[in-house]
Amino acid sequence: MKKVVIVGGGTGATLLANTLDRRRFAVTVLSNSAVHVFQPALLYVAFKHAAADVARDERRLLARHVRFVEEPVTHIDLPGHVVTTGGGRRYDYDYVVVATGVRTDPSQIPGLSDVNEEFGDYHTGVAQAQKVWARLDAFRGGTIALGQSSPIIKCPPSPVEGILLAEELMRGRGLRDRTRFVFFTPYPRPYPAEPMNQIVEPILRARGIEIMTFFDVDRIDPRARTIFSIEGEEIRYDLAIVIPPFVGADIAYEPASVRDANRLIITDRQSLRITGFDDAFAIGDATNLPTSKAGVGAHLEARVVARILSGERAAFDGRTHCPVDLGGGLGTFVIGSYTAPVVKYPPGRLSHLMKAMMARIYWLSLRGTLEPVFDWYFARTDPHRLSRTEPANRRAA
Amino acid sequence: MGANETMRTIVDSRGSSCPGPITDLAIAYRRAKVGDEIELWATDPGVKPDVRAWAAKTGNEIVSVEDQPDKIVVVRVVKR
Repeated sequence: MKKVVIVGGGTGATLLANTLDRRRFAVTVLSNSAVHVFQPALLYVAFKHAAADVARDERRLLARHVRFVEEPVTHIDLPGHVVTTGGGRRYDYDYVVVATGVRTDPSQIPGLSDVNEEFGDYHTGVAQAQKVWARLDAFRGGTIALGQSSPIIKCPPSPVEGILLAEELMRGRGLRDRTRFVFFTPYPRPYPAEPMNQIVEPILRARGIEIMTFFDVDRIDPRARTIFSIEGEEIRYDLAIVIPPFVGADIAYEPASVRDANRLIITDRQSLRITGFDDAFAIGDATNLPTSKAGVGAHLEARVVARILSGERAAFDGRTHCPVDLGGGLGTFVIGSYTAPVVKYPPGRLSHLMKAMMARIYWLSLRGTLEPVFDWYFARTDPHRLSRTEPANRRAA
Repeated sequence: MGANETMRTIVDSRGSSCPGPITDLAIAYRRAKVGDEIELWATDPGVKPDVRAWAAKTGNEIVSVEDQPDKIVVVRVVKR
C-alpha cells in the first residue's frame, strides 16, 4: 500500500481521494475545514438570494475508506516526505498532492477590507455573499461599481456574471432608471480572452453598463466612496462590490522555492508535479498553471494525477470549460486549452441549463462515478473540434 | 541587489489562452518598480495588440516585439 496525503478539502482533493484505488492506496485527506462549499453557488447567493445546498460536510463526501482529518496544515517538507499540522502532528507519505486552493486577501489593497466588510463579496464565503445580497436588496438607486481588484482571480467569468445579474435584479425591481452601473477591469476589455469578449462586451453595452478598462485598483477611500486606479482614474460609488486579490494557502514549504510571489505552487503544466519533485503534485487553484482558476480545472487535474499514480501515462492539456451566466436565462462557456485558443461559443439557453445542471450533479460528481459522462461531454466540446464546427469560429477563421 | 537597482523579469505565458497573457503581464506590472523591464513570452497572437494598448494606456514603453522561430512572441516593456 502506498501512502497518499492530500492537502485540501475542495473539488480536486475530494474527487482524487474518491477515485484512487483503495486496494493500492491508503489515502489521508488533511483540511482546515470540514465544510465543503460549492463555490459557484456564491454568485447566486449574492445576486439571487439562493440558499439551498451551498455547502456540505466533507466527511460525507469522501468514500468511507478515506481517512479525513480536520486540521490545518502548516508545513510541507518535500525532500523529507512529511506534512505537519498546526497541532504538531506529522504525516509521512509516498505521494503528496497539494489541493489547497486560493483564498481572498483584501489586505493587499488599501481600503478594500473596509469595503468588503461594508458591502460583502462573492468569492470569500457564504456569509460575505449573503452580505452582498443584503446590500443589493436595500439599494434604492445610485452608482453600483463592480470589478476585480487584482489580475489574479478565481473564476474569470465571475465579474461579468456579477454585474449582469446585478443589472437584471435592478431592472426587475424597477430601479434601473435610478441606477448607474460601472464595470472596471485591469484588462484591455471586459473579458480577457478576446473571442469570449466578442460575446460578452456587446451584452454589457446593450444593458447600458459603463466599462472602464485598464482600471488596476490602487486604493479605495471608503469615506469618500471612491476607487482609485494605478493609472490615475477614479470611480465614485454608492455600492461597491470589489472582488479581492487572491493568494495561495498559508503553508510553509521546504524548499520555499516551490512557491511564487503569490504563494502559488510552481507546477509542471503537463505532469502536474511540483517543480523538482517526482512524488509531489499540485492541482486546482493552488497551482501557478496558466489556466483559469475554476472547479473544472481541479476536476480534470485530479483525474490526471489519479492516472499517473496508478501507473498510466497521462498529461494535463490545460483544458478550461467555464460556464458563464449572461443573465436573462442565457449562458455560454469559455472553452480552451494549452494548444487551442478560447472558442467563440454562442450564448444560448442550453448552456445556461447546463450550468444549472452542474450545480445539481456537483455533489454526485465528486464520487467519480460520472466520469464516463464527463469524458463524453469534454470530448464533444473539445476546443479544437469546436473551432472547426461552430459557425462563429468558422467565420472568424 | 540594492533597493534602487532595476530588474528584468521574465513572464512565461506560453500556452495561456484563458485568461490569457495580458493577465500575466498585469500581475508582473503590479510587482514591478520604475525602470524595471518585463519580458513576456506568449504563444497567443492577440498579445501584440493587447500589449500595445496596455503600454499606451499605462504610459509604458515597448522596447521590442519579436516573432521567434518557435512562434513565441517576446515583448519587453519598461515600467516608467
